Amino acid sequence: MGKGFCALFKKDCRMLASGKFFLMAIGFLALYTAYVNLGYIRFMQMEPYHVYLYDPAETQASKSALVQTVPSMEAMDAALLADANGVGLDASAGDVRVVLYRGAEHIDRHRADYALSLLEPLTIHTPEVLGTNTPEQKARKEITCELLFFELAAVGFLGIAAVLFKEKGMGVIRVHAILPLQKDLFLLSKLVVFLLSDLVFAALLTLLNMGFADGAAVLPAVLIQTAILSLMMALVGLFCALLLKDFRQFTLAYLVIAIFAATPVFLSANTSVKFDWIHYHPFYHVYMGLKNAYFGTAISPVYFAGAVGTIMLLFLAVRLAFHREIGKEG
Amino acid sequence: MRGLKYQMKSVLRDKFCLMTFLLPILVAVALHFMGSIDMSSLGELHFGVLENELSPQTVTWLERYGPVTAYGTQEELTAAINEPSTNVIGVRADGDSLKTAVSGDELDIFRQAAATLPALYERREAGGQAKIRTLERPDIMESLQGIFIPAVLIVAMFMGCTFNAMNIISEKEDGVAFVNEILPMTPSQYILQKVVVGFLFGSLSSIVTACICFRLSLQNFGLMLALIVLSSFVAALIGLFIGKFSEGLMVGVVYIKIVMLVFIAVPILCALIGVSGPLAVICNFVPSQPAFEGIMALSAGSMGTAMKDTGILAIHCIAWFALYVLISTRRKKLAV
Repeated sequence: MGKGFCALFKKDCRMLASGKFFLMAIGFLALYTAYVNLGYIRFMQMEPYHVYLYDPAETQASKSALVQTVPSMEAMDAALLADANGVGLDASAGDVRVVLYRGAEHIDRHRADYALSLLEPLTIHTPEVLGTNTPEQKARKEITCELLFFELAAVGFLGIAAVLFKEKGMGVIRVHAILPLQKDLFLLSKLVVFLLSDLVFAALLTLLNMGFADGAAVLPAVLIQTAILSLMMALVGLFCALLLKDFRQFTLAYLVIAIFAATPVFLSANTSVKFDWIHYHPFYHVYMGLKNAYFGTAISPVYFAGAVGTIMLLFLAVRLAFHREIGKEG
Repeated sequence: MRGLKYQMKSVLRDKFCLMTFLLPILVAVALHFMGSIDMSSLGELHFGVLENELSPQTVTWLERYGPVTAYGTQEELTAAINEPSTNVIGVRADGDSLKTAVSGDELDIFRQAAATLPALYERREAGGQAKIRTLERPDIMESLQGIFIPAVLIVAMFMGCTFNAMNIISEKEDGVAFVNEILPMTPSQYILQKVVVGFLFGSLSSIVTACICFRLSLQNFGLMLALIVLSSFVAALIGLFIGKFSEGLMVGVVYIKIVMLVFIAVPILCALIGVSGPLAVICNFVPSQPAFEGIMALSAGSMGTAMKDTGILAIHCIAWFALYVLISTRRKKLAV
């Protein structure tokens, strides 16, 4: 059995290598790493509101150093136009008047009061810090988690389908039906190849984007979640590949995952926009499992039990579909 | 003409393929009704307090700046502050004043708000008395939608590329490609037959998507139509290239994924960063860039840019078509 499995495993590895699958994984690893380190971290910055003061008579002597003085109203308009989140204070007519671009109602009130408070000596109270992550660490964890999830969900699914369709076309399933090998080994070798490649991809992506120290600390938990997601997506891919007739149909499934399944999950899990129905979305729980692993949050044993149960059910469904396919071929 | 009829017959039989072309239309409908999703909470301040700790007046004062949620225990409040998807600022009583708590992973703007909140509270009597002049600015979500909608259009056009690539690869796998080699057909006839299906469905899908998303004048609609037709044609042609150079399904998937990523990433990054100079010229080598820029310009009412982009797309069409014919003719000659 061990020998048979090794032979199948080697054959699957060779197929993936000839299909440039590993090359693509390395290419995307480089692309994602460049995006995180050169692009994303730079975009994810939001400075406090800038405050611009027009005070020709210099009536505001006790203003804070955070206030920038402008020489004219035109200069203030230009500054606000370039920095629409900024707040202008016009002290030219005696009373101070606030000028700002309209945004959300609550935020506008806060911006106005904050700007006015800077005209008086301001005591800055350092807030108590309860967490352990810096803004950059959080941004790195979030984006690495998103990229890994997308890559595993879409590529594992599509990759395994491509392999199986190729084998279907070459008549490998037909040959396998008469080989003196356990039938499940055919499925197991594929799952193991994709699982191993996904684990290596996840480890490299995590270490390269989060740094060695931070990455190594969360790696065991991340690899467990990667294994769960990889097995689930590979099994779904196998199931669809056994049921669908044409590989072209997979392009649709790929787009459905990319646009409809992933977007609401990312929005609910990463921002304060929460959909009421998101708990019924199966991807949400898997994504939250991965995210909790990155942020070191405890994961409920119920989730693990559910994940193992789902993987076993999916495996049984795939096994059934595979035996049906072998029967058809025979 | 008969060949074209067979191509259409093969597509119409494949219901999943038709659904692929319908997908961008569905997304466009979803985006059109996106107003119903409340996105206003994205940049807001959120406060977390302990139940019954702060006076009702203090809570009302806090609510001037953002929603306030009361938590039963300190542990629950700490968990809410540390939750990575939100920027909750914890507020607790400190004698006559307030003290704040943050997670430490927030953006600077939220940390600054937490640091200055006690000072704002101390001068709450003075707050809200100054005159405020508000200036109108375009809605942030509208500008985001301005990027989303052209992106969906690009995806719609890209469908033609995916379809053509997959069509040719499956013909190769089934051996139909060998039969095509000996059919009495010129390379141009073959290209035309292959390109028309992806092009036709890609542009139809894009036109419907554009009709859902934009309300354009007749003149602008003409330009939009030109942009859609030209970019769908280029996308369908690129699909032929992918089909030609892919040895199998897996390699085809890899190429499609790379092309799709470049097609979508280049224009969106250019729009977000605001590329100019020689880099902008280089970006125009990716056909989706002039298409995206043209659609954005049309929705902003800038006819000049849209016309320039239509011209760039026309050059793309001619160049890609000529290149494909050249490669096909050369290969055929070598084969003979």
